[in-house]
Amino acid sequence: MADVVPVREGIFAEDAEGAKLLGNKCKSCGQLFFPKAKFCLTCFNKDMEEVVLSRRGKLYSYTIGHMPSTHFQPPYAIGFVDMPEGIRVFAPLKITEDKPFKVGMAMEVVIEELWREDDKQVIGYKFKPV
Amino acid sequence: MREVAVIGVGQSVFGKFPEKAVAELGGEAVSAALSDAGISPKDVQVAYASRLYNPWCTAQDILKEVGIRHIEMVNVENTCAGGSTAFRGVWKEIADGHYDIGIAVGVESMTTSPIAGKLIPPEKSDLDGHLGMTMPGIFAMVARRQMEEYGATVEDFAHVSVKNHRHGCLNPQAQYKKEFTIEEVLDSRMICEPITLLMCCPNTDGAAAAILCSLDVARRYTTTPIRVIASTLQSGDYKEFQEDITVSPVGTRVAKMAYEMAGCGPEDIDLVEMHDAFANEEILRYEDLGLCKRGEGIALLRTGATEIGGRIPVNPSGGLLSLGHPLSASGVRAVCEVILHLRGQAGARQTPEAKVGLAQMLGGVVAGMEHGVVASIHILAR
Repeated sequence: MADVVPVREGIFAEDAEGAKLLGNKCKSCGQLFFPKAKFCLTCFNKDMEEVVLSRRGKLYSYTIGHMPSTHFQPPYAIGFVDMPEGIRVFAPLKITEDKPFKVGMAMEVVIEELWREDDKQVIGYKFKPV
Repeated sequence: MREVAVIGVGQSVFGKFPEKAVAELGGEAVSAALSDAGISPKDVQVAYASRLYNPWCTAQDILKEVGIRHIEMVNVENTCAGGSTAFRGVWKEIADGHYDIGIAVGVESMTTSPIAGKLIPPEKSDLDGHLGMTMPGIFAMVARRQMEEYGATVEDFAHVSVKNHRHGCLNPQAQYKKEFTIEEVLDSRMICEPITLLMCCPNTDGAAAAILCSLDVARRYTTTPIRVIASTLQSGDYKEFQEDITVSPVGTRVAKMAYEMAGCGPEDIDLVEMHDAFANEEILRYEDLGLCKRGEGIALLRTGATEIGGRIPVNPSGGLLSLGHPLSASGVRAVCEVILHLRGQAGARQTPEAKVGLAQMLGGVVAGMEHGVVASIHILAR
């Protein structure tokens, strides 16, 4: 079996309830970040704490790519999802047969294989229509 | 601070020339600018050159072709605004009194660059890039928001491409001198929905050069110097702070600074040359530059105001869409086009009675920052 590696360490996880994205928050001014920021980009405070984001958000925008990107063959979808915490997440989207993308639709995070690299399976987050 | 004028402009033909070295492309533009200014190579005291691929000693390499050596030469890179950065560099040298005459040159050989015929690959640290973010991808998502929020249609996006290709037919130096219909633009190959191939600027080789000098010195060479009345260059913010992806925060800020410096407003501008790497982008920049109110860019386009012969022609050169986009050359080239109009030398694409013109460039993708992370505006007046 191929080694499973995350696309980046420490920014997503999966438990009994399902997939979740891990951002962080400035302990001083409360500004949220995803992916995690090394320091607060608003007030430069370095004291940050991990925050688990909601599993669902609203589709802000999307596109379906018809030429290859670095790791995806066409057709593939990408988009921005606005989370209830007030933060916008960029992610690959799952294309489904029955739920065409529409701005404002509810989306849910899933963890799955993004691509294979040599003998590694690279996993990460995607959003799919609810 | 001293007043600065432009006394010479020059440009190579734009197109695909994989057999031409960067020195040859740049040399064509520099020779043309020198003869346009009517000065000798030995009059040039300082030079700035810009190039993205590959950036070593570009100024020295190009200027040896025309006999310029010894002098202070600076090489800069700032993606699509690299040429604007070189132009501003020379402007500062002269405005600050370090030198009296200088040359700015921008050059790119896209067909021999590592990204020829490819998308720009993401940096290792660029998580979004690895997750599928591309330049056409981001502009496609911006286009989706324009449709959702402002009622833009795919025909509007195609309209910009049709307009700029029509303009390009009047420009002998354009890469594509070919008109297209709305249907042809929409039926061209889909890149990222709803952006089609003919809504994207092509890969292009080319160079442009401008000769700047103090206004006092300019009067020795010409009775009609074109003055640089604003020069601005700014960088963008973290992407977390860009609430609406249809608005460029840095592009809006740099416009405000430029108008303040020039002591004029958007209503005083007679023509604009700008970054239209993707057709839908031009509509947004009408708003960033204050040519119309926020949300009214589509209406401005539909009235024909931004066509040659309209109230405020935008990209009469043909823009990046038709003229082509040699990345670091475009910033200088945009200034050169504005100057031709202000001198009344723009031929069939001339803006009548042009007194004040604006040249804008915006570009650069950096992980974690607003897309289009560098912006520059120059305002020129006769």
